[in-house]
Amino acid sequence: MSKSKSFHVLCMDVGLSMSNSAPGEESPFELAKQVIQKFVQRQVFAELKDELALVLFGTDSTNNPLAEDGQYQNITVHRNLMLPDFGLLEEIENQVHPENQQADWLDALVVCMDLLQTGIKGKRYDGLNIYFLSDLSVEADSEQLDVIVENLKQADITLQFFLPFSAEDESMDEADNERRGGPGARGSGKGLSKEQKTGLEMVKHIMLCLDEQDGLDQIYTLRNGIEGLCMFKHIERRPMAWPCQLTIGSALPIRIVGYKAVTEEKLKKTWLTVDAQSNERDHVKRETVFCLDDDDETEVQKDDIVQGFCYGSDIVPFSKVDQEQMKYTHDGKCFAVLGFTNQNLVPRHSFMGTQAIKIFAPSGDQHAGVALSALVRALDELKMVAIVRYAYDRRTNPQVGAAFPCIKLDYECLIYVQLPFMEDLRHFTYASLNSKKFSPSDTQLQAVDSLIDSMMLMEKDEDGDLKDLVKVHRIPNPEFQRLFQCLHHRAVSPGTALPPMEPWLAAVLDRPDVIEERCRAPLQEVKKAFPLKVVEKKKQLKTSEQIFGKDSEQPDAKKAKGDTAEEELEEEYNLADISEGSVTSVGSVNPARDFRILIKQNTLPFQGACEQLTHRIDQLLGNKNTQYYMKSITCIQAFREQSVKLGKANLYNSYLQSLKGSITNRGLEVFWDLIVQASISLISQDEVEGSSVSKNEAAQFLLAEGKNEEPVATMEDDTGDVDDLLDNM
Amino acid sequence: MAEWNAYFRNEADGEGQEEGEQQDGDYKVSGRDCLVFLVDASKEMFIKGENGEPTNFDMTMQVVRTVYTRKIISTPGDLVALVFYGTKQNQDPTNSFKHVYVYHNLSELSAKRVQQVDELRGDKGALLAAEKMGSDQTSLSDALWCCANLYRDCNLRLGNKRLFIFTCKDQPHGGDSAKDRQARTKASDLRETGVVIELMHLMKAGGFDVSLFFRDVVSPPEDESELGLQHEPCEKLEDLQRRVLAKEQKKRTLARLNLCLGEGINIAVGMYAMAVTTRKPNAIRLYRETNEPVRSKTRTFNNQTGSLLLPSDIKKAQVYGGKQIVMEKDEVDAIKKFHDPGLFLMGFKIMEKLKLHHHIRPAVFLYPEEGEVKGNARCEHGCKHQVLYIICFSSTGSSCLFSALLTKCIEKNVFALCRCVSRRNYPPRFVALVPQQEQTDEKNVQITPPGFNVIYLPYADDLRNLDPPRTPSASPAQVDKMKEIVRKMRFKYRSEAFENPVIQQHYRNLEALALDMTAPEDIEDLIMPKVEQIDGRLGSLVQEFKDLVYPADYNPEYKPAGKRKAAEAGGTAEKKAKVEVSEDEVRAHIQKGTLGKMTVPMLKEACKQFGIRTTGTKKQELMDALIDKLAT
Repeated sequence: MSKSKSFHVLCMDVGLSMSNSAPGEESPFELAKQVIQKFVQRQVFAELKDELALVLFGTDSTNNPLAEDGQYQNITVHRNLMLPDFGLLEEIENQVHPENQQADWLDALVVCMDLLQTGIKGKRYDGLNIYFLSDLSVEADSEQLDVIVENLKQADITLQFFLPFSAEDESMDEADNERRGGPGARGSGKGLSKEQKTGLEMVKHIMLCLDEQDGLDQIYTLRNGIEGLCMFKHIERRPMAWPCQLTIGSALPIRIVGYKAVTEEKLKKTWLTVDAQSNERDHVKRETVFCLDDDDETEVQKDDIVQGFCYGSDIVPFSKVDQEQMKYTHDGKCFAVLGFTNQNLVPRHSFMGTQAIKIFAPSGDQHAGVALSALVRALDELKMVAIVRYAYDRRTNPQVGAAFPCIKLDYECLIYVQLPFMEDLRHFTYASLNSKKFSPSDTQLQAVDSLIDSMMLMEKDEDGDLKDLVKVHRIPNPEFQRLFQCLHHRAVSPGTALPPMEPWLAAVLDRPDVIEERCRAPLQEVKKAFPLKVVEKKKQLKTSEQIFGKDSEQPDAKKAKGDTAEEELEEEYNLADISEGSVTSVGSVNPARDFRILIKQNTLPFQGACEQLTHRIDQLLGNKNTQYYMKSITCIQAFREQSVKLGKANLYNSYLQSLKGSITNRGLEVFWDLIVQASISLISQDEVEGSSVSKNEAAQFLLAEGKNEEPVATMEDDTGDVDDLLDNM
Repeated sequence: MAEWNAYFRNEADGEGQEEGEQQDGDYKVSGRDCLVFLVDASKEMFIKGENGEPTNFDMTMQVVRTVYTRKIISTPGDLVALVFYGTKQNQDPTNSFKHVYVYHNLSELSAKRVQQVDELRGDKGALLAAEKMGSDQTSLSDALWCCANLYRDCNLRLGNKRLFIFTCKDQPHGGDSAKDRQARTKASDLRETGVVIELMHLMKAGGFDVSLFFRDVVSPPEDESELGLQHEPCEKLEDLQRRVLAKEQKKRTLARLNLCLGEGINIAVGMYAMAVTTRKPNAIRLYRETNEPVRSKTRTFNNQTGSLLLPSDIKKAQVYGGKQIVMEKDEVDAIKKFHDPGLFLMGFKIMEKLKLHHHIRPAVFLYPEEGEVKGNARCEHGCKHQVLYIICFSSTGSSCLFSALLTKCIEKNVFALCRCVSRRNYPPRFVALVPQQEQTDEKNVQITPPGFNVIYLPYADDLRNLDPPRTPSASPAQVDKMKEIVRKMRFKYRSEAFENPVIQQHYRNLEALALDMTAPEDIEDLIMPKVEQIDGRLGSLVQEFKDLVYPADYNPEYKPAGKRKAAEAGGTAEKKAKVEVSEDEVRAHIQKGTLGKMTVPMLKEACKQFGIRTTGTKKQELMDALIDKLAT
């Protein structure tokens, strides 16, 4: 099915009077030009098939199909109907200037209508639109007015006027309310020339003839126009019908049509890779080769590669053909009710998938409509949902999902969302927040209470209606807006830095000013009530690497290779294993490991190994450097662990005690703090029977020292190093 | 159509490139998770229930099997071991522990292992068990020691380490205090090295008294003020299963963020994915000769000069309005940056403002960041990979604020609207933080945790304008009849109830291939409607409802294609009318050689009229057929 398109004609007055303006204000010409630019930009980025023409009037020259016998003078068809492109934008930028003539604006309108009618011949179209920008300062010949209106009606052309002044106070107020925060229109009805007044009357007449009810809403001020057009067009996708049958058991089918109602929209275009020198896409070639995971990285031909899967640690070769044959198959398109359940058993946060589908009865099928309506209403009244099996077609995987009833003023439908499979669920438990440690006091609760009150985004307006201050579903996706802004900038002014975010976009992403103002005091209260310490984040170099790495290249290759860091570590460890046999003494490279191996091998008496280890620790500590401190801690941990394992506590305990005694002399306070933080204490009787230290003493051992110091402060100073160390590993 | 298809094809391919955000957070950074099942295999575990209920041992094996198969699907990289104690025979790598039997060493799971667990189940298992297990000699200390060796001897970098003890004996050593003490010491050693010990105690006559021995063996609960062990012993398989599954996976954050209420007021929170769509895993490439995996290397080069292109030799471009617009790579990143990562509070809204159908992504869960205040030094087995976590902030204050916020949001029935940037250089999304109260079941097992569910909200671009068809509403009588139907088919929905048949089939196939089975085990498609049962239950209701809503001549089983025609009834009827062509007209066209001016539907219609059977739909074919027929 070929999509039909719209045709637009922009008709702009470039005549003499358009350049008149009060000092310090932009002339109507400038404003009108901006409106046109924004409009064309939107069209270009929306990538619709719509065609667009530009007609200028009040031009010094004349160039239009109707011009003969001195009729339709000073009207120029700058560009006939065609797809808008950057060329047009450049032309508007560089070639549209204020000129010195005046032209009858009704004549210009006729030219536009003619353009449309010849342009659409033999084409399918959705809508015909004329956007008319003028100050109406030339008296128009009203003789033909009724004929023109009749023609507009017949051709079903919609018309919008953009004027430098407001058409009427009341009607403009409404329009203003629509666009939030728009500065009011300039001098409404005041200071207009006689021509303009009659012109305005004619405009109103036309608009009311075309649409009695809302016709006047289609008359905008130029400023309104700029504001209305400042955001790039939303992505609009044509909803596609999915006809199917809802089945309950084998005997009760109801004909339905599904439409995707909500889904995260992505841009159709992605970034191409081009050569930096030539900017040519074709110059960049990407090539993938496969190789064995051996030392020579032996290359393997594509034909020699088969497909396989992991089943735990098993690698199972599984050819595409076999896979296709053995895979799960089903009967295709399906919307079958499995059963009904209470709505509260299907909480909002359990929704899966990336879309919500609305299910209607096919239009024109009254009986299906009634049947579906009965189901929708029954579910709504019982507060229940249908659990259904949904399959889009034979090639796609079936889902389990819920169909919720939805009753609106003018329609009834089911809303389908996917629900999780057993395999998708993660069963995590979290500590209760009701414990004493976290329980807020009454003052604290009160502070939060008033904060919430001050930050309610629901406002009562003058009429007492609740108004939502932040309607997320009305905000255009900022990602697209910003991208288009930058692309446009780069296209029209190459070689310059990208512009900052547009102020209106920054504003909609931020807290509304009213709220910001109102919550200031309650926030201070909260701040007072909850003493918060500065949270220092661990540096996560890895994570950022992952992010940067992600965009760069070959995510798949990386995945296949697995975590390289991990592999490296594994390798190192294996090497260590190989050399295990040769450990005869506690070396300085990896003393803790050596110590463990010595104990395990039992080649040295325990005491001897311990002496070697403590000797190493003391050596390491002489370096007064975090890195060596960390190593020492691992040694002490190894010492403790082995001592406990062998049930010999005395050597370890006496060493730790003597170490503690020498802290001040040796200037090892920082190191001691690490010991305290890691809670490496004495071995108590509970752990090793022979120990002379009680559990209490062991606990006190670390505490006593901590009191004199400020471990927290020291810790924070040290973290940088610790993290660096982690990162280096 | 194209759109729907395109979307679903993506999904079917299972290549979730866009899912970056939903991946399991920092899994790679922290090493492999390991889980050791330490199962009591003494005589008491093999006592059958009065009514032929399965033995505790059987139940345990059932759970072990579930965990095995689940892990193969969801976290195949995890290491798992299965160790029995209180056995007659012993088997361990060093052969030094009596009554300890290492059935599966600590390593990745495989099809073989699942099969081996199956061998321990049921009657066959009971026989086998009687031969090898069921001793009355037990030394938990030896068993724990043996487990410690498993962790130690594993050559991989280990992440989270868990040990589950399954037993029905609250005094494993029958009150021998020396043995008790040894076991406690061993347990504390293990805990010291970062192993989390959980007790899965099973039912026994006279009740299970945790305080007699096990309280000092297991790891203290995460929350200190809570005793944690008020769990009742598990009697039913489901209970045990639920409990094991709840503890089996380590919570991993997708992101650690600040929830910013205002200038300087930040709550440290972690984001967790509670449900992640499991997809069929990507295939790996194997070398045909040896079945060993191959690696791929990708090179980017300039095909004019043949030289390799470095990242700096590349720029990015898009084409709009006939123009190629070029940007630097870092500009492309910069465009996506709006704010630093974090959640920024915009304000609050009443719950009703959260629209059900505003759904674009699965929700995630928000919980205060558990920065255990104590410096937590974990010593891994080898010093080379020593990882020392020292977390240097106190989060008590912010957890308290989080808790207050949660309480008040529940009380006022509001949600918090936040702007969310989950990672660096990610554009913002708005999210609703929906408060969730903690709920536990009668056995004190947590069903829903306390915290906020993060619901992603759509932007204007994400909503599609639909033109809902106007159809009449049902009458109260019709609605009432449907209500009867609905009530008959009522059931209690549980999200765990439905397995994904596609994934299950895939793994059964792999299992069959891995074990050289002749055919894969059959799967039960749980998301298939049980039509017969439904029909049986509804009985005459269906006909009664149909009589109420459908006229006698209405056939709801229309083919979908026909349906669409009906949907556009107006347009189609007109077109049909136009299609009528007279014989004369066709003849005239043929004579003048202007047959090509007729449209395909007209030609088809003409063929029909002249009784020409055509299989072709191409215009030329139709024209040829007509000419053939009428020229003679």
